[in-house]
Amino acid sequence: MIEALAFYIFSSIAVAAAFMVISARNPVHSVLFLILTFFNVAGMFVILGAEFLAMILVVVYVGAVAVLFMFVVMMLDINFVELRQGFLNYLPIGSLIGLVMLIELATLFGSWVVTPVIANRGLMPTPSPDITTNTHALGNIVYTHYVYLFQAAGMILLVAMIGAIVLTHRNRPGVKKQDIGRQLNRNPANSVEIRKVEIGKGI
Amino acid sequence: MQAFLAEYLPILIFIGIATIFSGIAVGASLFIAPQRPDVEKTSAYECGFEAFGDARHKFDVRFYLVAILFIIFDLEVAFLFPWAISLGNIGAFGFWSMMIFLGILTIGFVYEWRKGALEWE
Amino acid sequence: MLEITISHYLTVAAILFTLGIVGIFLNRKNVIIILMSVELMLLAVNLNLVAFSSHLNDLVGQVFAMFILTVAAAEAAVGLAILVVFFRNRGSIAVEDVNMMKG
Repeated sequence: MIEALAFYIFSSIAVAAAFMVISARNPVHSVLFLILTFFNVAGMFVILGAEFLAMILVVVYVGAVAVLFMFVVMMLDINFVELRQGFLNYLPIGSLIGLVMLIELATLFGSWVVTPVIANRGLMPTPSPDITTNTHALGNIVYTHYVYLFQAAGMILLVAMIGAIVLTHRNRPGVKKQDIGRQLNRNPANSVEIRKVEIGKGI
Repeated sequence: MQAFLAEYLPILIFIGIATIFSGIAVGASLFIAPQRPDVEKTSAYECGFEAFGDARHKFDVRFYLVAILFIIFDLEVAFLFPWAISLGNIGAFGFWSMMIFLGILTIGFVYEWRKGALEWE
Repeated sequence: MLEITISHYLTVAAILFTLGIVGIFLNRKNVIIILMSVELMLLAVNLNLVAFSSHLNDLVGQVFAMFILTVAAAEAAVGLAILVVFFRNRGSIAVEDVNMMKG
């Protein structure tokens, strides 16, 4: 009962917020609605039993990705009203394609049933939440059975990190930095010049 | 309802109360307080003279680089949680699997350090 | 009505996915909103995976959803980095201006 109620609340807010993401006038509002969508989908993940993914969604997505979007929106000095021109021109074709897509998906899901036999025949049956927590169950298989995917994820993160640095990092000319090695290596021989000054002439 | 979902019920109640309270706080000031805006009231106020610039300030790109690096390490830490919990079950293989993962990301960390991406200047 | 089945979740995911597609079409000029729409679509895919994982009692769906989250975050980071560089070079983020590689 409460579960069903929570599902309907979460899903309706998620869909409404997703609609506002694509239709909000101000991109800052879009980002905030994206955060709301993530939160509500995280709630649905909890109802489905994927507690760890719900946590990841809140920590990584709300905490980092949405903030990144916010940074970019605030960083770029853009006239967003100009970018919205043509919004109404694309509305008919956009909603037409969306409608076609939705009808296709609806016919697919409406006419399609999962055999009850297939349940519990999966590769990795989920242990009961009374015995093992979701996070524990995930940890038991991610690092051993899915080790290749796990290392591939590491590679992807490495590429993303290096790519982001290569693209956005820029050495600023004319910045004076402290170089401790140079400071320590300094001695009178290479930093002080002694000259004999003749009286009345100067250098 | 499954047993573990009962543990989340307090969070749900908390979210509900928070929503109601913030709704009351915003709604009350919207409906009860008198609202008679005019041009002078709603325009930006800057110590008596006309506002110089936009209220929205451009951020520096360096903030963005820090945010990206934060995402990457956030994900790395997210992968550490299940590993730490189930380390007793997955044995030496799981342990070294994570060590290789951390090693790969350390390469990236060394790279960004050498590049000076962590320095503010 | 009170029994929440997998089709409920699939419906929500389908609506989110469609909203993502429509968002790409409607905001054809604003790359930031397009990237957000892509995030919405990936979220819908994740919801599908987790719903099936719960329904079939199979943990693999959640493992894949976890990797998709990783890839999506990396995609957002690199995509926004490209956007920043593009804005720095051209002073605009309109998709129509991305035509320098045309022959």
